[in-house]
Amino acid sequence: MEQKLKELAERKAAITAGGGPKRVAAQHDKGKMTARERIESFLDSGSFVEIDAFVEHRAVDLGMDKVEAPGEGVVIGYGTVNGRLVYLFAQDFTVIGGSLGEMHAAKICKAMDMAMKVGCPCIGINDSGGARIQEGVDALKGYGDIFYRNTLSSGVIPQISVIMGPCAGGAVYSPALTDFTVMVDKTANMFITGPQVIKAVTGEDVSAEGLGGALVHSEISGCASLMFNNEAETLEGIRKLLSYLPQNNIEDTPVAATADPVARDIPDLAGIIPDAPNKPYDIREVIKRVFDDGDFFEIQSLYAMNIVIGFARLGGRSVGIVANQPRIMAGVLDINASDKASRFIRFCDAFNIPLVTLTDTAGYLPGVGQEHGGVIRHGAKLLYAYSEATVPKLTVIVRKAYGGAYIAMCSRHLGADQVFAWPSAEIAVMGPDGAANIIFKKDIDEASDPAAKRKEKIDEYKHNFANPYKAALRGYVDDVIDPADTRKRLAGALAMLLGKRESRPAKKHSNMPV
Amino acid sequence: MLKKYRVTVNGQSYDVAVEELGGAASPAPVAAPAAAPLAAPSAPAPMAAPAAPTASGGGVAGSVKAPMPGTVLAVKVSPGQAVKRGEVLLILEAMKMENEITSPADGTVSQVRVQAGTTVNTGDAMVDIA
Repeated sequence: MEQKLKELAERKAAITAGGGPKRVAAQHDKGKMTARERIESFLDSGSFVEIDAFVEHRAVDLGMDKVEAPGEGVVIGYGTVNGRLVYLFAQDFTVIGGSLGEMHAAKICKAMDMAMKVGCPCIGINDSGGARIQEGVDALKGYGDIFYRNTLSSGVIPQISVIMGPCAGGAVYSPALTDFTVMVDKTANMFITGPQVIKAVTGEDVSAEGLGGALVHSEISGCASLMFNNEAETLEGIRKLLSYLPQNNIEDTPVAATADPVARDIPDLAGIIPDAPNKPYDIREVIKRVFDDGDFFEIQSLYAMNIVIGFARLGGRSVGIVANQPRIMAGVLDINASDKASRFIRFCDAFNIPLVTLTDTAGYLPGVGQEHGGVIRHGAKLLYAYSEATVPKLTVIVRKAYGGAYIAMCSRHLGADQVFAWPSAEIAVMGPDGAANIIFKKDIDEASDPAAKRKEKIDEYKHNFANPYKAALRGYVDDVIDPADTRKRLAGALAMLLGKRESRPAKKHSNMPV
Repeated sequence: MLKKYRVTVNGQSYDVAVEELGGAASPAPVAAPAAAPLAAPSAPAPMAAPAAPTASGGGVAGSVKAPMPGTVLAVKVSPGQAVKRGEVLLILEAMKMENEITSPADGTVSQVRVQAGTTVNTGDAMVDIA
């Protein structure tokens, strides 16, 4: 027995060593941790339990029979984050470049299957050169098996992809199918075809960083949900992200202890909104004052910045926030903003996270580019996502809510459970200037001084219609509130809605515009 | 217009001819309207707070383009002026709002293509940052 235990220890040591000291050193030189170091740093200390360490590839073609790959280039298992179970897999770049072959994929699939069975989040740490070409179609099968599981798990357990190195070709689609993609600045790349292929096909010269770096995906493509400066910050960020999420789709959102009283007045809130309706301000200043402890975990903070999304807590309970950002592009709704917000709304709805919407938008963005880009079908996503959502839906109309954008920003008509408006709210079919020009066209044209008449009519329209009271008259707005009371009113409404049950017609699945 | 430069690398000198192709060939298209976020480092939050891109690496210099159609209300910079990522370059009145257009990167203003009153369309170059 002693001999056998010794053998076990030796075998395990060989696997734990990964690609060996030289490759581990090379990994460290790039500012990267090894797969095992990442897992240790991410999970609660000592909680990691590895499975499938002994799995080996069975490829024989193209010299693979002579290639040893300790752990098959991926470490899988489970552990806890702040005491809560997660499954995870981490590709090991030191072992044949973390390349994905049949058995490598089988290990990943086992972690995903187990996460589904027990109903806990699944975290994937990606750092791989791509498909193990020697394994041919078996490697493709591996990717396909992962995509299939990503899709079946979607809306059942939270799935988070962490990109900590290259992630190219077919590998990028797994992150795209998961709920959140988190990238490390400077060391993470994602692209379908790399710089060399692009150079050969289109002649474009681009670096890996310029093509698919963290900043590019955070700012331009919108493929990254979050980016951080280094690996340690990234892993810490994901721990924080998980703190807002339930373990699965039948669990309630976690409640965190807070010393921030829900009845707290916010006397300085009204002062954030400029008196002139054409002056911008930062909506995040409103968010920070309303929710617990000034804490706001923003998602996709650099993409489609005209809309702000993220997690916060109200009375300790997680909520998802969707808010127009008047500071950027007048807070308009456009293709990218609709896309960004609708996916977030659907995530929150799938995982029972109540939604709080803050409205102050100049409307849908006009322009040939938007129309030809399909703003009709993209803009429709927002209507769809809000209408479909059955979680508690709270809306605060802070300032402008005109036309289609009023409807889209979780109005009563899309099923908002409670709609509050500040006295500064302007809820109308269109802005005063445009409306006055159409409705009073004849009066203005026939006046001796058309300019003065126009101004008079605009002021008249503003006074009579650009306010929250017309909507409140119909019950579309439940109450017009003092901004100082926003926190307590939202918290009260949220508590009232905890028992909300709303069902939808039975169907195979819906057909959201994409 | 053709410009000639002599470049010396490790003692070896090279003669280089550079041709400027005019407005159409402005360097690297600028990403988004990219007003730098205030990054919101809320109080002492050691966790998360999505990394504000580091100054040097953040953003791409080049032409700052109009994110939407509108009228330039005021230009806040002049050629030769050094700007930081996120610094306000001009105010664009669009959608009945005064929108702050900010620099996508640290750099120097090489050209201001608009003035107060200029009407711009989406994608029109307004300020060049080098």
